[in-house]
Amino acid sequence: MSTEASQNRLDTLQPIELAEGVEVRLRIAGPLLRGGALGIDLAIQWAFILLAGFILSLTGMVVGGLTAVGLISLMWFFVWWWYPVFFEAGPWGATFGKKILGLRVVQKSGSPITFGQAVLRNFLRYADGMPFLGFGVMGIPTFGFGVGVLVATQRFQRLGDLAAGTVVIYDKVPPEPVVPSPPALETIAPPMALRPEEVKALSAFTDRAGLWSEGRRIEIADHARELSGSKGAAGVTRLTAMARWLQERK
Amino acid sequence: MKKGNFEERRQQAWREFDDLVGSLERRKPMAGVSELPRRFREMCADLALANHRMYGGEVVTRLNDLVIRGYKMLYRSQRKGGESFVRFVVRDFPAAVRKDWRLFWLCNLMFWVPFGVMMAMAWIDLDWVQAILGPSGMSGLEQMYGGEKEQLSYLRSEFGSNFQMFGHYIQNNVSIDFRIFAGGIVACLGTIFFLVYNGLAIGASAGYVTYACNPESFWTFVAGHSSFELIGMVIAGMAGMRLGLAVLKPGRITRAKAIGMAAKKALPLIYGAAGMTAIAAVIEGFWSAQGLPSNVKYTFGILMWLLHVAYFLLLGRGEREA
Repeated sequence: MSTEASQNRLDTLQPIELAEGVEVRLRIAGPLLRGGALGIDLAIQWAFILLAGFILSLTGMVVGGLTAVGLISLMWFFVWWWYPVFFEAGPWGATFGKKILGLRVVQKSGSPITFGQAVLRNFLRYADGMPFLGFGVMGIPTFGFGVGVLVATQRFQRLGDLAAGTVVIYDKVPPEPVVPSPPALETIAPPMALRPEEVKALSAFTDRAGLWSEGRRIEIADHARELSGSKGAAGVTRLTAMARWLQERK
Repeated sequence: MKKGNFEERRQQAWREFDDLVGSLERRKPMAGVSELPRRFREMCADLALANHRMYGGEVVTRLNDLVIRGYKMLYRSQRKGGESFVRFVVRDFPAAVRKDWRLFWLCNLMFWVPFGVMMAMAWIDLDWVQAILGPSGMSGLEQMYGGEKEQLSYLRSEFGSNFQMFGHYIQNNVSIDFRIFAGGIVACLGTIFFLVYNGLAIGASAGYVTYACNPESFWTFVAGHSSFELIGMVIAGMAGMRLGLAVLKPGRITRAKAIGMAAKKALPLIYGAAGMTAIAAVIEGFWSAQGLPSNVKYTFGILMWLLHVAYFLLLGRGEREA
C-alpha cells in the first residue's frame, strides 16, 4: 500500500504494521527535542539530589551523620541509574523531560516498552555518552556516540535504543489542519489514470486550500498544470473539480 | 461508499471506542471493557479501509490515533510477580551463565591474569605495584590494613558507619557493573578495559597489603564478600562482551538486529550481576568488618565460594529454557 512510498520520504512519519494487519503511523522524535528532554531530566536529577541531599544532611545531624551519608549514596545510585528506568517502564512511558516535551518511548511495534527494555536503553546511555571529556572514563559525557548513531539510523535510535529495540515518538501527533477550499461546482474526470500518491496529493490540496491565499493556490496548482491542462485560477478550479470527481466516484 | 457516508455510518462506533479507551487511560474502566479487543479490530478494519480508499486527511488521522491508543491499552505488558523472580534465581540465571561458559572463562581470564600478575609483582618488582597504586593508594591501604590487629572494626565503630559503607558499595560497585556492561557495546573495548583495569588495581592492592601490611586483616575482610563481588563483576563482563561481539561479529543478520538479540541474552546476566554485587555490598557493609575470629571469617568465605560453585554448576539443569 503506502509503505513503499513512505520509505523514501524525508519526513519522520514511520509506518508500522500491527499484528492486526493494519498500518499505523508514528512520528519519530529527532535529536534536538531528545537532547532537550535529556537536559530537563538532568536538571531534575540534579535538583532532586541537591534538595534531598540537603534534607538528608539536616536529618543526619539528628540521627547520625554516617547513616545520612549512606542514604545519600543510595539516593545517588537510584537517581542516576533507575529514575529513567522506572518512569519509562511505567504508565507514562516517559521521563519527566520527555513528558514535558510530549515524547514517549515505545517498542518498534508501537506498543509500550517492557521493564527489561527500559533497563537496556537507559544503562547503555553510558556508552552513548562517550567520548568523555577529561578524567578518562569518568569525565563529562559529550554524547558523541549517541548523536552519531542517532542521525545514522532511519528511526533516530541511539545505541541504547538499538539494543532495546525502542524508538522515541511524539506522544500525540497534532492533526494536520483541514480547511477545505470552496466546494467545486462541477465534477471533471481526470484525463489519465492517477497513481495512489497523486490521488492523495489531490485530496490533500483541496483539504488545505482554504488555508492559503488565492495567489498561493494558483502557485501550487501550476505545478500540476499537466494534469489540469490550464494555468492560473482556471487550473485551481479544474483541480478541485477533479478532486470532487475522485471523492464521489467511491 | 463516499467519504461522508463512511464517516456518518461509523461515527458512533468511533466515539464509543474513544470513550472506552479514554476510560482505560484514566484507569477507571467503564462497563463493556471486555469488548475492547473486538472493537479494536473494528477500528483496525476501518483504518485499513480508509487508507485503501484514500479518504485521506482527517479521517485517517483520527483513526490512526484511535488505533494507536487502543493498541497501547490492549498490549500493555503485565508486571510479573514474585514467582518469576524465584524462577530467575533458581533456574534462568545459572542456566544463562552456563550457556555462555566460554565467555565466562574468557572474562575470568581478563580479570584474574592481571590480578595474579600484580600479586606476583609485589615480590618480584614492587615498582609496578607502586606505580599502579600511587602514594595516596598505598597510604590508604596502610591506614586500613597496616596495624598489628584488625583495624577495620575500629574504623567502623562509629554509629551508622556500617550503613554508610553499605550505601557506598551499592553506589560504587553496582555502578561499575553497569559501566562494564554498557562499555561492551563499543566493540567490547569498554568491558575489556574495566575488567583488566580492575584486575590490575585489585591485584596490586592485594599484593601490596600481603607484602607490606598486615595480610590477615585484609584477607579476613575480603573473604566474606569476595565471591559475590568478583563473580558478579565477571558476569557483568559477560553481558558486555555479548553486546560487543554482536557488533564485531553479527553473523548473517544486520548489526542493529544482532545488537538487539545480544541485548536480550545479556539482560539476565546483568540482572544477576547487579543482584550479586548488591548482596556483596550487604556482606561488605554489615559482616566483613565485624570483629570476629579469623577462622570464622575464613570458613564463611570458603563456604560462600563453594556455594557459588554449586549454584552455577547444579541449579537450573534438566529444564528446557522457556
